[in-house]
Amino acid sequence: MSNDLDASLRAALRPVDPGEGLTQKVLAAIEQDTAGQPGPPPARQSGWRWASVALTVALLLGLGTAHQWQVRRQERGLEARRQLIEALQVTSAKLDVAYRVVNDEEKTENGS
Amino acid sequence: MKRQAYLAILAAALLLATRLASAGPPGQLQLPSFDSLTGKSSQSVNITLDSTLLGLAASFLDSNKPEEAAARQVVSGLQGIYVRSYTFNKDFAYPTAEVEAVRKQLVPPTWQRLVQVRSKDQDNVDIYISADRGRANGLVIIASDPREFTIVNIVGSIDLQKLHQLEGKFGVPKLQLSVGK
Repeated sequence: MSNDLDASLRAALRPVDPGEGLTQKVLAAIEQDTAGQPGPPPARQSGWRWASVALTVALLLGLGTAHQWQVRRQERGLEARRQLIEALQVTSAKLDVAYRVVNDEEKTENGS
Repeated sequence: MKRQAYLAILAAALLLATRLASAGPPGQLQLPSFDSLTGKSSQSVNITLDSTLLGLAASFLDSNKPEEAAARQVVSGLQGIYVRSYTFNKDFAYPTAEVEAVRKQLVPPTWQRLVQVRSKDQDNVDIYISADRGRANGLVIIASDPREFTIVNIVGSIDLQKLHQLEGKFGVPKLQLSVGK
């Protein structure tokens, strides 16, 4: 009975040849494990990517808005300038009418 | 009871604030809209330049050009320029009621008439000035002839000497104004 047990144990624990592929498999597993360790998990990487895209879009939108504001300000400024010059022309023309009439009356009075 | 008094004070304060805000700075007229005239007139000029727009306009004037530098000096103390001018193909097509509504605002002691001109050609010009402690803060010109009607309201510190410097610039005629007399 004890001899049977001894024989079956020996048979089960006998040295077995692992085959040629074992070393390569182990090295490949180690390499894969080392390469995965230093970087952040995939979800975190994706978050950074989205943040940088959002920042770039925000920056571009900001620049576009600033440019549009500048263009609109220039248009308004040039229109205001044109109106100012026209207002000064109208004002001066009406003052000139008053001056001419008063001057003509003075001349008539002095002449008579 | 206290709450009612509080509400009454609040309402009065709001009413006062609204009236002050709508009144504008001293020297500024409440100009009618003249909407009805825009369709009837053959030519119209409607200019509203408040202090913000005047500042913006001034910033677009080139100081290196003498005429624009002079205009810049003119507007430096101003708070607003308002021009309504209408030209018609028919005689006296403008409503006198609206003109009278403007004239009614031009009463002493705030407004003093500087010049009243009535010519044979029916060129009528009235010039009013508003002053506070000897300093002009508003000028109004109402000019009319049978086919044209113009109101100019300049608000702010008006320097006729500076206005005089614009003569011969921007197509402004030589006025030969006797400044300071």
